[in-house]
Amino acid sequence: MATPETGVEGEFRLQVVDTMTTVLARLLDRSEPVTEDMRLMEELGFSSTFGLELLLELEDQLEILVDVELMDQNVMETVGDLATFIAGHSRPA
Amino acid sequence: MTALEGVSVYLPSARIPIESLAGPLGLTGMQVKLFRRFHGLSEISRDPDGSLYDLLMKAATGLTALRGQEHRVRYVLYARAMPVVAPYPVNPLHEVCRALGLGHALAFTVTHQSCAGGLLAIDIAGRLLAADTADGPDGPDGPDGQHNGSGPLALVLSGEKAFTRAAQMFADTTVFGEGASACLVSAFGVRDRLLAYASNVRGEFDSATGENDARLQREYRPSLAEVMQQALDEAGLTLDDIRVVLPHNVNLVTWQRMCTLLKFPRERVVLDNIAVSGHVFCVDMFANYQTARERGLLQPGDRYLAAAVGAGGGATFAAMVFEH
Repeated sequence: MATPETGVEGEFRLQVVDTMTTVLARLLDRSEPVTEDMRLMEELGFSSTFGLELLLELEDQLEILVDVELMDQNVMETVGDLATFIAGHSRPA
Repeated sequence: MTALEGVSVYLPSARIPIESLAGPLGLTGMQVKLFRRFHGLSEISRDPDGSLYDLLMKAATGLTALRGQEHRVRYVLYARAMPVVAPYPVNPLHEVCRALGLGHALAFTVTHQSCAGGLLAIDIAGRLLAADTADGPDGPDGPDGQHNGSGPLALVLSGEKAFTRAAQMFADTTVFGEGASACLVSAFGVRDRLLAYASNVRGEFDSATGENDARLQREYRPSLAEVMQQALDEAGLTLDDIRVVLPHNVNLVTWQRMCTLLKFPRERVVLDNIAVSGHVFCVDMFANYQTARERGLLQPGDRYLAAAVGAGGGATFAAMVFEH
């Protein structure tokens, strides 16, 4: 999945990554930092239910609504992929 | 051809807000928010004063197609998710049969496919009735007899009390409501004809061990899409031929994602009851059928697809195609 790096969308994506890695570290009770290149399932033990909990937290903190029905976990392997999806498929709450 | 002669549904008018279930079910604030925001579960139907017998009777006595036809009912099938619902020798099914004047009918329970059991019961009912017509189409039980209003019928009941914690919630997936349905089935009816039935039983998804829970989450939607396609193939149809989908009411986001996966318009999936009733076990398909008719979504000749997943001691993915 392509990663937008510049412009307003890129800035928002960076904000999503920043918030997401913080929330993930807390939810997973990890002392080591969560990074953008970490694989959701293999390294972080992601499930669809856990993913929804994460989205709820992100929606609250970023004051957005995510188009969750469009999520395809098969093309979201890493934390960065998920951040890209959220940045591109969300609207202000 | 198996056909639905009539459908009646009873959903209790009492509604419990999902927040009120947090204490009894031990839900965290996060889980309540998840149910409401993503799963679309706002209220759950409950009948705190009604017994299982009461639930089934309310659905059955609302079945106008049954009135005056009791003598034609040869089988009563009770589809339910829970394997045991009353202490021996109490048997709500037999009590209902006696009260309805159906003591002569062969009555039995269809279970072990959880919430997909309703579709299985329709299939069994149709096949039992068809087998009774082995004396040929000109016999009293054949198609001519049916059209003359004298052929045999089967009554398919479903409904449960959510009487234990396990019966009230599937962790982080759904919350169960109470309700019941009654459906009159014939072997040769002309309306709501069953065109195809497909079912895949996946014993490896046993929630008791939990070993394959993550895999079930991953394969849930593709497996459901697969069985829907199998039913369509058997009917010689494609999704483009389907006017509406009658889902099981597991939750909203699952069906929103199913629509994305299937490229099927969300407005043609009857999702109305999820928010107000919760997942009512095997009753969902019948409740959604009734809603589709009330909303005028089904016109004569329309084809529709009912789909359900029963998860528990193994998982069953099932789908039926009907013509209205």
